[in-house]
Amino acid sequence: MTEADGDRAGRVSRLREGVESRALTALAVLTSAALVVAFYYPTATVLVEAVVVDGAVTLGVFAELLTDPFYFGEIARLFAGDSPIAVARALLSPDRRLGIVGFTAYQAVLSTVASVALGLPAAYLLARFEFPGRKTLRSLTIVPFVLPSIMVAVGFVATFGENGTLNAALTGIGLPLVDLMFTLEAVVIAHAFYNAPLVARVTTAAWESVDASAVETARSLGAGPVRAFVDVVAPQVYPAVLTGAALTFVFTFGTFPIVLALGGFQLATIEVFVYRLVRDLSYAEAAALAVVELAISLGVLLAYLRYEARNATSTRGARPLPRRSLVPSAPTLRELLPRAGLVAYVVVAGVVFLAPIASMVLASVTGGDGALTLDHYRFLIDRQQTGAAFQVRPWPAIRNSLAFATAATLLALPMGVVVAVLTTRRYRGRTLVDAAAMAPLAVSGIIVGLGLLRGLVFGVEIAGWRIAASGAVAIVVAHAVAGYPFVVRTVSPGLSGLDRSLVESARALGASRARVIRDVELPLVWPAVVAGAAFAFAVSIGEFTSTVVLATGADAYTMPVAIERFIGRRLGPATAMGVVLLVVTGLSFVVIERLGGEHRGL
Amino acid sequence: MDSEPAGGGVDGDDRGDAEGGGDGTDAPVAVELDGVTKRYGETAAVDDVSLRVREGEFFTLVGPSGCGKTTTLRLIAGFEEPTTGAVRFGGESVAGVPPEDRDVGVVFQSYALFPHMTVGENVAYGLNFADPPEGTTRDERVAELLELVDLPDAADRDPESLSGGQQQRIAMARALAPGPDVLLLDEPMSALDARLRERLRAQVKRIQSELGITTIYVTHDQEEALAVSDRVAVMNDGTPEQVAPPRTVYREPATRFVAKFVGDNNTFAGRVVDATADGELAVDVDGGDETLRVAVGSDEEGQDATATRSPDVGDRIDFCVRPEHLRVASADEVADETAVPAGENTLRATVASAEFLGETTRVTLDWGDRELLVRAVDPLDGAVTVGFDPADAHVIEVEKQ
Repeated sequence: MTEADGDRAGRVSRLREGVESRALTALAVLTSAALVVAFYYPTATVLVEAVVVDGAVTLGVFAELLTDPFYFGEIARLFAGDSPIAVARALLSPDRRLGIVGFTAYQAVLSTVASVALGLPAAYLLARFEFPGRKTLRSLTIVPFVLPSIMVAVGFVATFGENGTLNAALTGIGLPLVDLMFTLEAVVIAHAFYNAPLVARVTTAAWESVDASAVETARSLGAGPVRAFVDVVAPQVYPAVLTGAALTFVFTFGTFPIVLALGGFQLATIEVFVYRLVRDLSYAEAAALAVVELAISLGVLLAYLRYEARNATSTRGARPLPRRSLVPSAPTLRELLPRAGLVAYVVVAGVVFLAPIASMVLASVTGGDGALTLDHYRFLIDRQQTGAAFQVRPWPAIRNSLAFATAATLLALPMGVVVAVLTTRRYRGRTLVDAAAMAPLAVSGIIVGLGLLRGLVFGVEIAGWRIAASGAVAIVVAHAVAGYPFVVRTVSPGLSGLDRSLVESARALGASRARVIRDVELPLVWPAVVAGAAFAFAVSIGEFTSTVVLATGADAYTMPVAIERFIGRRLGPATAMGVVLLVVTGLSFVVIERLGGEHRGL
Repeated sequence: MDSEPAGGGVDGDDRGDAEGGGDGTDAPVAVELDGVTKRYGETAAVDDVSLRVREGEFFTLVGPSGCGKTTTLRLIAGFEEPTTGAVRFGGESVAGVPPEDRDVGVVFQSYALFPHMTVGENVAYGLNFADPPEGTTRDERVAELLELVDLPDAADRDPESLSGGQQQRIAMARALAPGPDVLLLDEPMSALDARLRERLRAQVKRIQSELGITTIYVTHDQEEALAVSDRVAVMNDGTPEQVAPPRTVYREPATRFVAKFVGDNNTFAGRVVDATADGELAVDVDGGDETLRVAVGSDEEGQDATATRSPDVGDRIDFCVRPEHLRVASADEVADETAVPAGENTLRATVASAEFLGETTRVTLDWGDRELLVRAVDPLDGAVTVGFDPADAHVIEVEKQ
């Protein structure tokens, strides 16, 4: 090769390198811009309402909120200047008032306790026993994440409602009817349905990573099995239980569709009340209330993260504890007792986890007279053909759901991958980037939806140009923002788990940073990328909170919104619609299961 | 305190370079570190390091874990940028030049073969960014490299189907394929068993001298460093304590640390009480009442730098004697006074423990409150007499009074 050739080749390669190294920067800038437009700006406009009234900055709205017993119950008196002792006495009295905020926290605590109680035995079963279908069961614990909450609500109505399967069963064995609908119990059980698998999942992972030789060392030093569990296993599992509990609290504190469908306004949580205030056009009060909710959620998360940072252990078990057979090896008490407990647990878990889904499917093919029928599906078809313009028709709902989910996934995927790449590298300020990118998980969907509605949909004026997007575009944007953190969360562990010297080898061999991502990192974490996409798709399909705000008035309603509109009038079509939704989300779960998790590269 | 490295140290080496000698070659400098410091927060992982590696040289950074040797290598590769100081390739600063533009080949301890590519694709990867040598196609180049590492049929295999030693050789082939100027090896053998390590290091050495490629090798294994290198930099606490050919490092350690780290050694500290005209010192050794004789300026190379700063009476000195230079006999054998030749130092000690190593036995002796290491062929027990020639003692450091 002549020198001139070499020079030209060098220039071409430098040009290409330049484009490649800027590609990463450009993608990062685009992602930040998308986040600002789709999340930070809309959220900010709403939150500003809370402190700006008639053009003046004021904390008056907060002051009113904090001192209003309707929101803060007895605590409000504390903010109003009452003595703490009087407030404490009032809180201990039987006729205490909790207020909306107090009730929200109260039901979140109950839900957390229920979720941990229901999740721990599952973790014990999954981590310590070997049985056919264990791996399948373990991966099934991810299902609740992708089940649309409104569909779960329908399932719970079909199970615990007046004419639900529970009452049918009770009648069958001659017991009196119960009415769990619109009670705290129904809400708590529904929350456990969602969050117990989460607790089970994180706890199982921690339990499986306990090194068997640590337990064996304890045993050889003289500790009995129980003592070894308390001294060695429990301290390693306990932080995971706490993780599950903290996340459960935050999720259930911000609960919306479950309470809306199962509790109604008489059991309103903050989120439901924010929704109601938005519908009544009291934006300032809604925004202030949402800020209070955000502050409490973030407070709990922050406290937890600080605890986690202080207690982080990075030991990974070289050799997991051996699993025991479910069949007892000898008819001794020590062999039989845990297994009997597990059998009882499996019955309870079956009622909580399977009954709602089964009841929904059953109800969708059962007529008012109890006979099998396809009437409800026929109703959907009739409504499609003859429904008036203002009525919710099934086909647009299905079509919208699929279209929005596809578009939202296409948007969420590159955003999530870019954020994952940016947050797995070490540099100053990385935690800040991480927090800023994950904020959408913590902010109420109502606020994001409202911000997008009043900004993007009603139009914004920028330098004389009026920019307005349709409700459909806003829904896609909101769904992408809600879904991309899940892409980040599935892709990041894969990226950070890669041997750093793989990347460095490729660099030393001449590849630019962007080229390494394309040639080495993405191919190796491809299954996680696909799983992330399936997550984003499922999140979009099931998203209810911001969609219900943005779909108001527009014909951009989705399956969950359609279900919510049906559920108020007749359960049958709602359950039929729920089954359709179940099939669609079930398919995205199959994709996650096939490509995600334990499977290796292509 | 006025303590200085006695000889063959960093200062001495730099002086040697300036005179065109030192490393015994006139080849141009390939890689130079000039006052390089790398700080992580408050701690300096690499502290004011100046080194020159010549073209075609096999240069080894050796030291205990945490001494900064890997960080030094990563600074050369461009994975890290120095906090202060300059890294130069062929005299030109490479500050801000990313690793992909430095023309280096890197082999890691974990080999880092791309698991989603075949062995052939791994070796060919660097050829995406650099042309194979003129007259060679991509495939020919891959075949050539696989031949070089004695794995000619591995191209279509999956990296994970190879043994550790084979993976190491593929990593080596991959790093060499684009024809880098400098080969950087970061503990490439520490994950392998001892036998395999010995075989592979011979192969690495053979490939290096066949290609004549400038090689910088990082290891914590001092024996490996001595076996393969043209020159060795012994690092401690982020600084090289001595840069010299393996023989010099072994025979004339420049500091107490080098004396202790490279091979077994016996180090002594004491005060010079007498100095004769022919360069022999009498030293009162700390922790006992013995006076030992130490010859200065009679080391093999004949250029013992201590001679130039000859210790005077009253100075404190550190010196060392290798175990193989200590003659040991059981106490009754020396009763006839013939076992220890005239003019040698004589010590009385007792056997504390012995490790049988096969060809020799490494014996630890109690000498007063101190310990001595000796080599023995026959089993030893009880009281012994130890003798050594004053010329076998090497003065490490001199502290002028």
